Amino acid sequence: MRLSRRQLFGAGLAGAGALALTGCGRGGPDDRTTLQFWHPLSGGDGIIMAGLLDEINEAQSDYYVRPTVLEWGEPYYTKLAMAGAGGRAPELAIMHSARVPAYYPGGLLDPWDMSRLAELGVSEEQFSGPVWENSVIDGELWSVPLDAHPFVMFYNTEICEAAGVLDSDGQLLEPDGPEGFLDICRQIADYTGGNGLSFGFLGEPPQIWRLFYTFYAQHGVEMSFPEGGPAEIDDDAFIGALEYMARLTDGEVASSRGDRDSSIAEFSTGQTGIFFDGVWELATMNDAELPVNMGMIPTVFGTPVTYSDSHCFVLPHQQDPDEEARDHAYEFVARLLEGSLDWADAGHIPAYLPVTESSEYAELTPQSSYADAIDHVVYDPTAWFTGSGSNFINEVGQMIQGSMVSGEGFEDTLERFRSYVDGLLEGTNPVDPEGSHG
Amino acid sequence: MRDLKTLSTEPRRNREWWVAAGFLAPFMLAFFMFVIWPMAHGIYLSFTDQALTGAGGNFVGFENYVEAFTDPTLWGAMRNTVWFTIISTVPLVIIAMTMALLVNTGLPGQWLWRLSFFMPFLLASTVISQIWVWIFNPEIGAANSVLTGVGLEPLSWLQTPHLDLISITIATVWWTVGFNFLLYLAALQNIPDLQYEAASVDGAGRWRQLWSITIPQLMPVTGVVFVLQILASLKLFDQAYQMLPGSTDTSRPIVQYIFEAGFVGYRFGYASAISYVFFALILVVGIVQITISRRKVQR
Amino acid sequence: MSVAQQSPLTDVTARRNLKPGEKPFGIARLLAFAALAIMAVIWLFPIVWALATALKTETDAAAGDLSLIGESGISFDAFAAVLAEGNVYIWAWNSLWTSAVITLITVAISAMAAYAFSRLKFRGRSALFFMVIASIIVPPQVLIIPLYYQMLTFNMVDTYWGLILPQVVMAPIIFILKKFFDAVPIELEEAARVDGAGRFRVFLTVVLPLSKPILGAVSIFVFIQAWNNFLWPFIVINDTLLMTLPVGLQTVISAYGVQYAQVMAQAILAALPLIVVFLFYQRQIVKGVATTGFGGQ
Repeated sequence: MRLSRRQLFGAGLAGAGALALTGCGRGGPDDRTTLQFWHPLSGGDGIIMAGLLDEINEAQSDYYVRPTVLEWGEPYYTKLAMAGAGGRAPELAIMHSARVPAYYPGGLLDPWDMSRLAELGVSEEQFSGPVWENSVIDGELWSVPLDAHPFVMFYNTEICEAAGVLDSDGQLLEPDGPEGFLDICRQIADYTGGNGLSFGFLGEPPQIWRLFYTFYAQHGVEMSFPEGGPAEIDDDAFIGALEYMARLTDGEVASSRGDRDSSIAEFSTGQTGIFFDGVWELATMNDAELPVNMGMIPTVFGTPVTYSDSHCFVLPHQQDPDEEARDHAYEFVARLLEGSLDWADAGHIPAYLPVTESSEYAELTPQSSYADAIDHVVYDPTAWFTGSGSNFINEVGQMIQGSMVSGEGFEDTLERFRSYVDGLLEGTNPVDPEGSHG
Repeated sequence: MRDLKTLSTEPRRNREWWVAAGFLAPFMLAFFMFVIWPMAHGIYLSFTDQALTGAGGNFVGFENYVEAFTDPTLWGAMRNTVWFTIISTVPLVIIAMTMALLVNTGLPGQWLWRLSFFMPFLLASTVISQIWVWIFNPEIGAANSVLTGVGLEPLSWLQTPHLDLISITIATVWWTVGFNFLLYLAALQNIPDLQYEAASVDGAGRWRQLWSITIPQLMPVTGVVFVLQILASLKLFDQAYQMLPGSTDTSRPIVQYIFEAGFVGYRFGYASAISYVFFALILVVGIVQITISRRKVQR
Repeated sequence: MSVAQQSPLTDVTARRNLKPGEKPFGIARLLAFAALAIMAVIWLFPIVWALATALKTETDAAAGDLSLIGESGISFDAFAAVLAEGNVYIWAWNSLWTSAVITLITVAISAMAAYAFSRLKFRGRSALFFMVIASIIVPPQVLIIPLYYQMLTFNMVDTYWGLILPQVVMAPIIFILKKFFDAVPIELEEAARVDGAGRFRVFLTVVLPLSKPILGAVSIFVFIQAWNNFLWPFIVINDTLLMTLPVGLQTVISAYGVQYAQVMAQAILAALPLIVVFLFYQRQIVKGVATTGFGGQ
């Protein structure tokens, strides 16, 4: 009895082993170089990326790109950093460009060779100014931008038309200063009987930061976080933006208790006419079959800018890079950029100008209506602690939410913000404690 | 007498030393490489600003420890860890004991009981986390289906502060109670039948026997199970890291804070300091255990 | 041979005998049976539910009701999708062979060391033994930062050796094995030594065969630990082709968004090997875990 059991068990193990061994040969034909490629894109973005990869894998026979999807946010960035530190990282990865400053000084990334890229038709001229500049730090190109995904405005053309806030071209009226935009929203609210604007912020620090920094930068200034401190913050712009956000979420212009889900529900069921969120919500709006148009966040403070981040390609640090694989990685990125028209389906604005300047792109609606936002994007202040998914955004968003909800204490919030940032700047930069990268 | 013996066996001892070295070398090598050296090096790291990226490594004195003792996040993590230990240890001991007592009555279906209660313990933390995240899904999870089925409001099990650690506790009790159950079952086998026989001759019923023989006899093993469980609960990481949607001040256990400080924040120096604060906590529990068990022996 | 027969393992077979004068099916026994049955149902439910979800279509799985079989009946789509994707084979194979190697190395070096501590007399023996045993109190979680740093230095991050080697030091195993060797009558070895066998030969040919049951018990324990270990493999391995099953399932997600039936199918596939082994070797595993779990206490 015992013997037979053991034999059975042994046979089972052998079977499992054989099965596993056959599984090992996966990953494309053997004569191709396999490129390991990490990205955090799942759902709508993930499906489009998978399609782009399949196309490229089929279109040539030199290399095979093997994607690995990791959970977005902290899990992804942690694993990417650890892979770079270990020196046996994947050949390629996607990052948010505002996170790059937390990676490159510690040697977690390898810089791109600009001349090698230029040979493949990828150089400064093919990108909008702010996007390219954001990728170059200390004279080196650390990331190749795939897109910009700004924080934007969606508006329901039917409701806005009926409320009388569209111009003759069917575009939302250009507001005349801060009061002007509030008036537009109130006009819509009068028509819908609810609020005019949907903005999900409650318990969503990143949403708060995105809109806050847009309004801040519309004052024509940006924050600067030099290592060692102190942070350069424009007090008037800070208070102005903060006060304005509190006025927006007064319960009339926009709900004072709007969270992400309820704001989407509100807008997509026609209870409001305007909706602030990232371009990536386009798919949701398309699914809801709304008569929707898009544009930059209205310029209420003078300078037309909008907060954005970019997906970009990086080379995680490899101790001993295989030059052939590197070559293929460059080729792959060039190919993917050229074919990135589909990427616009997810709402993102492709960063590669030959794509956005093409006639095919011009025909995409509503994508083409906000494509010029790419010339007006602002990114997070450059520092090791900022960027999408960072703890910084979490903390700061919570601070701002406090005075948005109470409608007071703006000066206190500014002081808290300043001392929080100064504390981070004065402390050692864990990426680069010796400050060797200035 | 003793000296004389040592002297007379000296040559043999010398030869045995070499034999012993041969037997011990593989283990000791690994032991020094992967336990002793990291322990010592961890102490050293805790006095530096070493970063994950390889940068830093300057001696900073007690800076990391000073920061640790004034870091509200660390104290929050400490509080969460202790709280989890309390709310998980009690049910993990009581339910395990109840299961073992019931199974030990010799009711039919022994194989099934052991399978049901012990099998979860054999599953990886990843597997149980995925199963419970699915059960606790706020929109379409089974837990909420049960609640709404009996007319209660659905809950956001893993997304609500304070409730989240309780949800982790529920999953943990289900996962690991089988281990304690086995320890109790083994202990129950060691109670001599004679005691029960004597008791029933004296006319003691089943219930009396439970309280006068079984429970008192289980006290020593309960002590052991308690200590093993406390030490295990203090090390909470796997299921909390994998089940909770993000790390919050009301749910982050201390081991997760070590991980975050070191691998998310890159601060190896600080993470090492936190590790040793955590180690101190474990040592305190260990010393309490040894003191208690010594006292028992003396009695 | 008496040693081998008189099992050193903690026996966990429940008493089957009724106490004198006890009715076979009194009220008390019925109540106890009901209590056990309810607990068993609660304890089995999560696994049954996971399996039921894995056997639904994605649409049925997302329906959010408690039915065990979805509207469109039993579907193997989720399993098929997971197996076709292929990562699961790689991870299962990695888990299997690394756990086997960890078990082999751990048991081998621990048995040798335990034998030395039990039988050989050398200077510093008790101090060394004390140090090894005292290290049981050091939680592995305390060592992850310096260990990872060490792996960086040795260039062993993202290698199998970096995964395996730090897992082979298990001081409690030394303690258990030493206790066992202490109880083996020394006469058996002396007979062999008189015949001129060296220590190592005695160890291999006399001691180890006598220790089969205990070696089996600790092997089971070590293997389960290694198979399920999460923290260290998660930290030292980033390359998805080198990941073990728990780490791979946790780290890699689907590009197509969360699909519950597939996630549950993966979980079931990952759980299956140990459950099957448990069904075959329940008694041995239960004994092994109980013995090792007490750490000889």
